[in-house]
Amino acid sequence: MTRISLGGAVLRGTVSAALMVSLMSASALAEAPVDLSKWSPEYVRSIAGTQDFDTAADCGKVTPLDYKGRLTFWYQGVFEGDPDLLRQYYKDFFETFRKTYPNIQLEEQALTYNDLLDKFRTALLGNAAPMAVRLQILGGTEFASKGYLQPLKPEDVGYSTEDFWPGAMKAVTWDGVTYGIPTNNETMAFIWNADIFKRAGLDPDKAPATWDDVVKYSKQIHDKLGIAGYGLVARKNAGNTPYRFMPQLWAYGGGVFDEATANPTYKEVELNSPQSKAALQASYDMYVRDKSVPVSALTNQQADNQPLFVAGQLGMMISHPSDYNVMLDLQKKATGADKDKAQTVIDNMRYGLIPTGPDGKRAVVFGGSNIHILKPEYVEGGKVDEPAAKAIICMWTSPEWSLKMAYAGSNPGNLNGFKTKWMKERLDSIKFLDVTTSMLPYGIPFPALPQSPEIMNIIVPDMLQNALTGAMTVDQAADDAAQKVKDLMGGL
Amino acid sequence: MTIVTGKAETGRRLQPGRSGVLRNVWQHRADYAYVLPAIAVMLVVIAYPIYYTIELSFFKTPPGLQLRDKTFIGFDNYTAILTSPVFWKVTWNTLIWTIGSTFFSFVLGFGAALALHRDFVGRGVLRAILIIPWVISAVAASYIWKWIYHSDFGIIGAVLVGLGLADQPPNFIDNVSTVLPSLIVVNIWREFPFAMIMMMAGLQTVPEQLLRAAEVDGANAWQRFWHVTFPHLRNVSTVTILLLAVANFNSFIIPWIMTGGGPSNASHIWITHIYELAFGRQRWGVASAYSVLLFLMLMVLGYFYVRALAGNERKEGGA
Repeated sequence: MTRISLGGAVLRGTVSAALMVSLMSASALAEAPVDLSKWSPEYVRSIAGTQDFDTAADCGKVTPLDYKGRLTFWYQGVFEGDPDLLRQYYKDFFETFRKTYPNIQLEEQALTYNDLLDKFRTALLGNAAPMAVRLQILGGTEFASKGYLQPLKPEDVGYSTEDFWPGAMKAVTWDGVTYGIPTNNETMAFIWNADIFKRAGLDPDKAPATWDDVVKYSKQIHDKLGIAGYGLVARKNAGNTPYRFMPQLWAYGGGVFDEATANPTYKEVELNSPQSKAALQASYDMYVRDKSVPVSALTNQQADNQPLFVAGQLGMMISHPSDYNVMLDLQKKATGADKDKAQTVIDNMRYGLIPTGPDGKRAVVFGGSNIHILKPEYVEGGKVDEPAAKAIICMWTSPEWSLKMAYAGSNPGNLNGFKTKWMKERLDSIKFLDVTTSMLPYGIPFPALPQSPEIMNIIVPDMLQNALTGAMTVDQAADDAAQKVKDLMGGL
Repeated sequence: MTIVTGKAETGRRLQPGRSGVLRNVWQHRADYAYVLPAIAVMLVVIAYPIYYTIELSFFKTPPGLQLRDKTFIGFDNYTAILTSPVFWKVTWNTLIWTIGSTFFSFVLGFGAALALHRDFVGRGVLRAILIIPWVISAVAASYIWKWIYHSDFGIIGAVLVGLGLADQPPNFIDNVSTVLPSLIVVNIWREFPFAMIMMMAGLQTVPEQLLRAAEVDGANAWQRFWHVTFPHLRNVSTVTILLLAVANFNSFIIPWIMTGGGPSNASHIWITHIYELAFGRQRWGVASAYSVLLFLMLMVLGYFYVRALAGNERKEGGA
């Protein structure tokens, strides 16, 4: 006979109930707030504006709103290629943060994409880093692998890991530990000027279907109209270059490693595979053989392509939906006949999916930014105010602000952002947003390796420049780049 | 007595140097006290970084590790640099950049100084205008010139095409052959006012009486320049050239902003390459070894600079 004591039964019952509740909540947490398998412009429209969020209340649970502290914070901010609209949202964010947390003394510093990594690395060497930092997606693993960052996962600021894109979470994970939270995620689209297409004898409403078509269209535009066809970008140490070349490389079936596969291992270097060389050859054909792209591509960034495009001197380019707003900003600044010319370009601006490779493969860089907390020993003063850091992280990665801070150019890192009323408003006011959100499932993250910044910002652009300047043949440039990646991975 | 006197004389002969130096130091103790704070600051901000750079140059610093995880490799970084084709390309670029910029800046500056030394209407305004490139920020100047040179819609290209002198805009900075000369032109434009100011100051020191005496003796303009003016400017010229050379060896802003060392490393000079190695690629050890080599080269230039200055002082003292 088994004797059951009341106390034991209560204890067992309590433990069982607690376990069930925890499993239920775990399964509830494990469920993504949006169904990624249904992803389409229609689905995005159907979920927009279906849920309300109270950011201050949510973040108040992480760090009390009356918390008194001090926070140093660096972030990749807006730059010359961003629209004014985004500038305003950044301004609003910091004003709102100061109102929400009036007792946190915030010392923020904005840096451009191309300057942030260098400055941050230098500060780390002198143990003079900020307490929290928002880095480009490329930077997370580099600093996590070196031990500069504190473990930080969405749950630490009141969210769930499933609230964020799985690909984005990979970029903040090193050795199985999460070191940051995605703030925004982006995929670009293909933009063309329908009027230029028409005048060049191309179908004005049809984007080139393949990258081979891009090469052909670019030549046709240049030969018929004497202007640049495709806005190639090949500057070194500029994020714009990999964001435009990698989709081409992946579409042809190439890659730096096997990052375009479902489960990348990053073991074999594929930068000199026949597929990768075919992609490089396509760029060579446009720049050297056909001379159908801007000559200034080697020193240009996308910000240099924008004035060319609005001036009607460029037929096609890859960029964000925000480029439409940038064109509107540029048009406002134009005077006289230039203003009308710019308006014609804007009226003829079209967005489409990024072309596929010869085998129908479509790809785009899954970009974005992450936010991190530093370890105290690398921070100026040797102290990190964690509650203050979590307060700003909670706010920036909230459904509301992760959407607003990505309003024109990107997408919210927090998937709940797609459900907010601001997403609905955004879909109505930001033209071509549908196209870039449609590109999200084709997004491929950069290799989640500490060596990625050097590969993407230096080795890949070097390969392009070596081939396009004739310093090396296409084969030599690809082989040289592949060897550099091997050396880098071998610790040289 | 004689022996004693001799010893005393020998002792006096040995002593004067040391006691003289000490006496001199003591007499100038206030001067040393004045420069002491500056020397202390220099030790912290210059001497320590130099020491640390030299130390770091003997270590391997893999980009995937923190700096504290460095490993000692002796002279391997130096060997790797000296056997790397990139090193020789960058060194060649640096020599072309330094010699080209220094020579033409000096010649243009000297010419401008000679022209402005004469008295004519508008001299002051012209002098002020010519100083502008030197006064404006190098960063701003680099961006302006980038647009002037722009290979697709730069001003120079538009003017040449507009005047029918070219079918398409010339490619200044997106071409491996033309990029370095194009950047040197920008550097000369920015630096020649410095040479001009230095040489104008030097021209003020040429004695008017000597020039007049030479004129009375029948010397023509060239002879007066060559035999009177130029010898007086020899020292200021040496100092100006050395200062320009040192500044050009250390150039960074113009090539970095305008081309980032590209295309295809065609405009990488030592400093931009060191910067990229250190901050872009995190090869702190290799970058440090490069810096040590550059430091040694600059020390040689520094030696000549100090010698030139000492020569000036000796001459002034002698006069």
